[in-house]
Amino acid sequence: MATETIAARGSSLRTWLVLLIIWEICGRLQLIASGALPAPSSILMRLWIDRADYPPHILATLEGAGVGFLIGNGIAVAAGVLFALFPMAARLGRGVNIALFALPAIAISPLLVLTFSDMTPRIILAAIGCYFVTMSSTVTGISQTDQRMIEVIRAYGGGRWKILVLAQMRSALPAILSGLRIAAPNAVLGSILAEFGGGGRYGLGVYLIGSLGRAEPDRLWGIGLAATLIAGLAYAVFSLIALRFTGATKAVTVPATAPGGATMSWPLWLRLLLSTGSVVIPIALWWLLLIAMGTPAMIAKTPLGLFEYLFLQPNSQASQMKLLAALGQTLPLTIAGMALGIAFAFGLALMSVLRPGIIRGFMPVALVTQTMPLVALTPLLVLILGRGPSLILWITISVTFFPAFVTMAQGLSMVPRAALDVPRAYGASLFTQLRLVSVPASLPYLFAATRLAVPRALLGVMIAEWLATGTGLGNLLNQSRGYLDYGMIWAVAVVSVLLSVVFYQCVVLIERPVLARRGMRAAQ
Amino acid sequence: MTGPSGIRLDTVSRSFKGRGTTVQALDNVSLDCPAGSFTALIGPSGCGKSTLLRLALGLDQADSGEVSIAGLAPMDAARAGMTGVAFQDAALMPWRSVEDNIALPLDVLGQPRRDNAAKIASLIDLVGLAGFEKALPGELSGGMRQRVAIARSLVTNPQVLFLDEPFGALDQILRRQMNVELQRIWIASRATTLLVTHGIDEAVFLADRVAVMQSKPGRITRIIDIPLMRPRGPDVFTSAEFHRLEDEIAGALNGH
Repeated sequence: MATETIAARGSSLRTWLVLLIIWEICGRLQLIASGALPAPSSILMRLWIDRADYPPHILATLEGAGVGFLIGNGIAVAAGVLFALFPMAARLGRGVNIALFALPAIAISPLLVLTFSDMTPRIILAAIGCYFVTMSSTVTGISQTDQRMIEVIRAYGGGRWKILVLAQMRSALPAILSGLRIAAPNAVLGSILAEFGGGGRYGLGVYLIGSLGRAEPDRLWGIGLAATLIAGLAYAVFSLIALRFTGATKAVTVPATAPGGATMSWPLWLRLLLSTGSVVIPIALWWLLLIAMGTPAMIAKTPLGLFEYLFLQPNSQASQMKLLAALGQTLPLTIAGMALGIAFAFGLALMSVLRPGIIRGFMPVALVTQTMPLVALTPLLVLILGRGPSLILWITISVTFFPAFVTMAQGLSMVPRAALDVPRAYGASLFTQLRLVSVPASLPYLFAATRLAVPRALLGVMIAEWLATGTGLGNLLNQSRGYLDYGMIWAVAVVSVLLSVVFYQCVVLIERPVLARRGMRAAQ
Repeated sequence: MTGPSGIRLDTVSRSFKGRGTTVQALDNVSLDCPAGSFTALIGPSGCGKSTLLRLALGLDQADSGEVSIAGLAPMDAARAGMTGVAFQDAALMPWRSVEDNIALPLDVLGQPRRDNAAKIASLIDLVGLAGFEKALPGELSGGMRQRVAIARSLVTNPQVLFLDEPFGALDQILRRQMNVELQRIWIASRATTLLVTHGIDEAVFLADRVAVMQSKPGRITRIIDIPLMRPRGPDVFTSAEFHRLEDEIAGALNGH
């Protein structure tokens, strides 16, 4: 066993060395995209030359990301507990949750910079980047608590609070930690995205934007590597903590009792009321926030102002046409990218069980694509793939698959040993075990992963459109920023949120009957 | 005659709806366990034994009829710390050590663990797990886990004890040992005990009375008194009277 691990480590180390050498050769000979991919040695040399520049930038980014991480996750765990314990609150909060998740960071970053000053926009975007992942994994963890433990506590007269403290929080811990480990790179990205929007002299994002125009790919890569390193370290820390807890939480046997609890048997009027509430609350919050902050009406469009812009003004017709045309370009690619990203994540999750060695080697690469700011990667990707739809698909897959993969792999790794022993005893191959036990047993996680991936796909398409192809909603957003067409910025942001919500609801519609038929409960 | 710590079920019915069918798990079941008595509940799978137990524990509500524990509603009795329970499935928390799992009811009831440290240690000794105090459930065998669950059921000095096939996972030898031990504990504590079991020998050995259940719909068809003297030693298992009682229960299970 030990020798196997060492051998696997040795082989993945070898893979890395080979990759590094190929990279060095390509960089030296300027084989890829005529120098857009510099050699590792020249990136390192450049890092050394620039070494005095980095500390203030890194510290500034860390500050924004760190404070945002704390605030965002604090709110997320509290909200997750609330939603898990009170299904009605979950129903009411759904609109806000999905809206926060689908909120395109690139769209609100300029708006935030105009409204707030200093660190605040970075903290807000970092916090928003953390919120949904951590909130939904908290809910998943709590609602998947072994029913038998809850029964023991209830048999001794323990109420909701005792159940939460003694069983649910502890058994949700691995899920929360796996949420935090996605949230950590998200916080770094959120901070950097806010830095792109302007404001402040320091931050890796500021540094990157400043270096973008100077045709120095080695410096861009250096900044990218620094950002990657920070995000990767944050990810690694939470992975280690999670590893420590997952083993002790794995149930020894499979619970035979069906997951009970409150089945959704609310009367129709209440369900309608809650659905209406979940739609109204985010709109009300949007309105209230703008009033509370006193942003000038020119910049900040209230729902009413947006309606006026899209339907009542003389150039409303033109605005509508622009929006619809952009939508027509964005939608098909989003659906395709979504499907590919999820399929890729699922394949990877299966691989993590079938061939853990390969995944160990691949994970760092995956992490790099997650944490390396797309702005730094995009020039290279454009030169390799051109400015066509295939570029959009690649970028979309790369932003979609990672969170989906982590959630799916988590579900697969939570399958109890005893459940796998039965097929194993009949000589089932690993693949058969996956098909018969692991995949069905982790279905709630697979669906949760899909729901997680869906809005990200739209975000990926929009980022690619903004940065590279100059088409669709992403481009419209960018153009409107240039024309100071705030109405259109708001319109695009709202339309993209609505689209995300529609996609999300589609998954829920499939998920519910599938899980109900198997006597499972959805992992919120 | 419900004494201060008796178990009483009065014409209790409970049905379950699932996938288009309705199962009458319990149909007008009445059962009276006087304070300090030991009642065994025996019957084929699916006859409603576990449902009955869940109602008595307050984990489930009856459609009709009344359940009271020592004159209280089941949940109130549980909150007062009067009850103890060991489930068929050990249902231990995988992240808690043996000690901590045994102390769980104290944590739920908000009783300080310090005052009960000696009690916990003696329970660990009693179920033969000395030396495993700090072990996690994942490191124990099935039988050991079950013994932890039994120790846990006794930690509150319960006046009313519910045992849901607690020795189902143990081997026959250990099971007999545990039966003798349980009798000893029970004679010392005189807790009103309701034991759900599949083992006829276990029921005869331990109980004052054996209630035989039948399914479809779930109901109690006979109550057989066990007039064996206490304390019953291991030699009771081979006595003629013991075998006669076993045969009588087997007959009742077959509908005679």
